[in-house]
Amino acid sequence: MRHAIRALGWAANIFWIILLFFTVTAVYSAFQLKPEFGDPNTSTLDSTMTVSLPFSLANGGFYDVSNLNLTTLVKDSHGFPISDSSTLVRLVTHGSNVSVIHNMSISISRMAAENLSYMLFNDSSFVVDIALDLNYANAVPFRISTNSTMPWGAPLSNLTLGAISVAPFNATHFRTIVPISFENHSYFTLDGTVQLELVDNMNNLLGSGKALLSPSVPPQSSYGYSSQVFVSDPTNIRAVRLYFDTSVFSYGPVVIPVV
Amino acid sequence: MLPRIAKATVKGLLYLIFLFVLPTFLISQLSQFAPELFASYGRLLNVFVVVVIFFVVASELTSGTIFQHAFNIGKAIILIIFFVVALTGGIVSLNLNLEGMQINIWADLRIYMVTLILIDLLGLAKSVLQAVNFLSEKAEKQLPTPQPTE
Repeated sequence: MRHAIRALGWAANIFWIILLFFTVTAVYSAFQLKPEFGDPNTSTLDSTMTVSLPFSLANGGFYDVSNLNLTTLVKDSHGFPISDSSTLVRLVTHGSNVSVIHNMSISISRMAAENLSYMLFNDSSFVVDIALDLNYANAVPFRISTNSTMPWGAPLSNLTLGAISVAPFNATHFRTIVPISFENHSYFTLDGTVQLELVDNMNNLLGSGKALLSPSVPPQSSYGYSSQVFVSDPTNIRAVRLYFDTSVFSYGPVVIPVV
Repeated sequence: MLPRIAKATVKGLLYLIFLFVLPTFLISQLSQFAPELFASYGRLLNVFVVVVIFFVVASELTSGTIFQHAFNIGKAIILIIFFVVALTGGIVSLNLNLEGMQINIWADLRIYMVTLILIDLLGLAKSVLQAVNFLSEKAEKQLPTPQPTE
């Protein structure tokens, strides 16, 4: 029995030493992991806005990092999910660096179609939940998560209907000048058309016109246009309905009462 | 008795240096990076050191008796419970505030915790065998010595 006791004692001591060595080197190596986020770039293609986030990880430790997964969940200020994206790096060996671009795609046409249409007209901010999952030393799964905010500028901010002027045109119709204006606070250029419809208090169509977003409305700029609409009875105009048809989104009707 | 007390004191001081002074110095250096993280583990380290030193000194003071082995067995069992409690069952979750940002760190240390427990079980098995060996040797001493028959 003395031999068994001695063997158990030696085994326990050796395993304690190995575990202590692993713990010290693992903690030291964890502090040699240097994650870095670069400055995000924004681009728009068709109706999708893409935020590209450069991410790099320098693994100066003794152990490999495997299954590195960066996930982001973009939500509006009320917590409604807008988009989720993930970028996977299978292996970051010890002593190496890895750089990837994490792309977050936000479908603006989807925003216009769903409960997020208020974001077309109101500046707001996105809440971005960021999570970094990784497997450290092939033994310890880790997750580091945080959240951040990303400002959102509305493409149709301060949409305003100016005073409608009326002038006789011919024996049956009047020419109305309908001024509309807005500010493009977003990251993308707006081009396309705005369809106007003048309606009475029963929503009957009195007349329609079109305004061109010409040549385009660049980011952080204002737009103003006076569209002419021919109507037979201008005294019955109670509201203006606007339909936006741009290369990025289509939305309407926006109903603005006429005072 | 006096040599036992002296030995227990020396052992206790050595354990204090290697289990408390050196790790506390390390933690104080590392806590510059994340004070909240290492502050909580500093408290756990104090509890761990008190438990280990108590059982080491008690075991040394009662060496040569069955109580030495009882204290070793108790130390192994309490350390197993301590590891499970300290590592919250192997799933560790921490909330840190770094430069105004709330960061949550989650780690699955179950494999590490199981390894700790298995190594501690080896120590427990050794202490149990030592106790059994001690009792069997004591029983053998109490048996009458067989006399040769003429």
